Amino acid sequence: MRRFFSITAWAGVALLGASALGAIALRRGETLNAIWFVIAALCSYLVAYRLYSAFIAARLLSLDDTRATPSERHDDGRDFVPTNKWVLFGHHFAAIAGPGPLVGPTLAAQFGYLPGTLWLIAGAAFAGCVQDFVILFCSIRRDGKSLGQMAREEVSERGGFIAQLAVLAIMVILLAVVALVIVNALKSSPWATFTLAMTIPIAILLGLYLRFVRPGRVLEASIMGVALVLFSVVAGQWVANSHSWSHIFTLSGIAITFAIIISAFSASALPVWLLLAPRDYLSAFIKAGAIFSLAAGILFVRPQVLMPPLTRFIDGTGPVFSGKIFPFCFITIACGAISGFHSLISSGTTPKMILREGHARLIGYGAMLLESFVGVMAMVAACAMTPGVYFAINSPASIVGATADAAATTISSWGFPLSAQTMNDLARSVGEQTLLNRAGGAPSLAVGMAQIFSNTIGGAHLLSIWYHFAIMFEALFILTVLDAGTRVGRFMVQELGGRLWKPFGRRGWMPGILLSSAVIVGLWGYFLYQGVIDPLGGINLLWPIFGISNQLLAAVALVVATTILLKMGRKRLIWITLVPMASLVTITMTASYAKIFDPSPRIGLLANANALAAQITAGTIPGAKLGETHRLIFNQRLDAVVTAVLALMILVLIVEAIAQWYSILRRSREPILHESPYIATRWAEDFSGAAHGDD
Amino acid sequence: MARIAAHAEIKAGAAAGRPASRSRLSCIVRIAWRALRDWCGDAAYEHYLRSKGTRSASAHTLTPAEFYVEQLNRRYSRPNRCC
Repeated sequence: MRRFFSITAWAGVALLGASALGAIALRRGETLNAIWFVIAALCSYLVAYRLYSAFIAARLLSLDDTRATPSERHDDGRDFVPTNKWVLFGHHFAAIAGPGPLVGPTLAAQFGYLPGTLWLIAGAAFAGCVQDFVILFCSIRRDGKSLGQMAREEVSERGGFIAQLAVLAIMVILLAVVALVIVNALKSSPWATFTLAMTIPIAILLGLYLRFVRPGRVLEASIMGVALVLFSVVAGQWVANSHSWSHIFTLSGIAITFAIIISAFSASALPVWLLLAPRDYLSAFIKAGAIFSLAAGILFVRPQVLMPPLTRFIDGTGPVFSGKIFPFCFITIACGAISGFHSLISSGTTPKMILREGHARLIGYGAMLLESFVGVMAMVAACAMTPGVYFAINSPASIVGATADAAATTISSWGFPLSAQTMNDLARSVGEQTLLNRAGGAPSLAVGMAQIFSNTIGGAHLLSIWYHFAIMFEALFILTVLDAGTRVGRFMVQELGGRLWKPFGRRGWMPGILLSSAVIVGLWGYFLYQGVIDPLGGINLLWPIFGISNQLLAAVALVVATTILLKMGRKRLIWITLVPMASLVTITMTASYAKIFDPSPRIGLLANANALAAQITAGTIPGAKLGETHRLIFNQRLDAVVTAVLALMILVLIVEAIAQWYSILRRSREPILHESPYIATRWAEDFSGAAHGDD
Repeated sequence: MARIAAHAEIKAGAAAGRPASRSRLSCIVRIAWRALRDWCGDAAYEHYLRSKGTRSASAHTLTPAEFYVEQLNRRYSRPNRCC
């Protein structure tokens, strides 16, 4: 009888989800309430978690709770810390949730709400969650080894080296892109710039408190810090209204670029407890609060989604970024559906803290579902604003014009009615001088979030406060990603440099620290700078390359996972990782080819470089702009080379892996699995749970 | 295990004459507080002191300040924040 009720209940959930998905997909010509998105996503996640993840856990991975995990075998209270599964779920989610699932769906909304939403839900359930879950499992079975180490041991020595290089290259591009999102959000905005600048002294204050006054008392310090940051959001209004102060904090894109580069260099080179860690604590609390509030706000306000399901821009002529729906919708959504970077977390801290193998399902699969839900909420926030406003904020001046009148005329001609007055009123109501041409996704997401929040609390009076709270929230945790990424990149540079000259590899050697920090900051800083000076706003140029590289890393992770599963003898179920891997390789290789060779200058990097070169030859570029144009040509060609090198590296790894698979399937070589030996858990007998807890 | 602990706390509350609903509420608050401290790293040093490695190690035990800095240096030397 219980089984009957269970089956009936799950059939009900599946039916409800299918109805909501049907409503989203089939509604035409009328607005749709956001609650349909929430129902469709939640029901799909519940069914995927209940059925697909359970199937993977039982049949593919055979999770074994009697097996001691690394946290039990090496329990040292430092790296290997047995942790309650819900606490670890929170840790893991905080680590994987970055700006990607917020910015990606916001940008992909230019195709309409339908393709992005479907990919967010299906991509997460069948690819992203599978990747995170399987890599976490593989790392648990190998004492918490990293993706690079697993690639070296299970695929080949060369495969491991390629994976390591790919991680460094991808990190450089990732940092440049997320920094560009902040630059576009902060330029010419004294309120937002002041608020973010204030996080530096606040973080240093917290760092000193946590180091010297109450070592390690993170909670009380964070509560004080969050209160100070919220105060600085309010104080930003006074700065913006003061003539002299607003002048100081009104900075150009180039000035903000250099400020961010200096900030990240300092965070990398200074002791980690002084700036990086305390800012990360602030970011974690504010991120958790903002995401929870956004979900609650959407449920409370239940806004109407005004964007059509599909726009005319699926043909590749979109103003936000150029490229057809396939493959660029998948590339743009990025982390909300699948992110290669997650495999670094799943093979980093998490496997060393997991209490039982069975918890990998909730933490690996479940946390990624939650991240996908964040992506769906970002999509709702972007699509709930008037489409004309969305395009005015996210399109570069070179396409829609630099004035409100020009933008209104251009965007209205696309079939999205917009008046100049609307844009001016909106900018005034959020406390900005202008909202035009703020490519990058952050400002439009902030407008969407502010409208939802102000409809929940405070009404129109608090719109400007909510907008700047949202900008601060996005910028703060992007800065955290920048700080932490720069520091990790510094270690990678030191490790690679240490192979050539030993002292350079020593982590405590100050000249090595400064030089490696300068190298990593210089690398991503260069890409950031070229994005800032790009006439199309940079996001058009860099976000697709970021998406491609991130998805290529996911392909690497799935290649490693597939190899390990084949060695484990799971041939019949290998489609679970093989199909997402093949799909990702197809998507990323198609996108790479289009980015490099597409004949349209708005898509193809080489075509754009050639078009600019032809303009110079024809003499249509004014003399004053010649230097800048030559630099743009160089940058386009450099980006084409970077994209090609990344794609080639991954192809080499795939060829290596296919050779392995062939020998395993032909049984010409005995597969060697580098798993840690089975040791039975002793926690069933003597684990008190007092310190760690479990369900 | 947390469920068992919660049950035990409710029973203890009832034995001390507190109503079950109050005991349950205080128990939920206590568990949530503990989870929050675990999540943000507030309780990391306590875990370190209780860990098997620390109890069995012959080397000296780190002070809270030493542990805090050492833990941060380790955490931020590998990818721990994603895109």
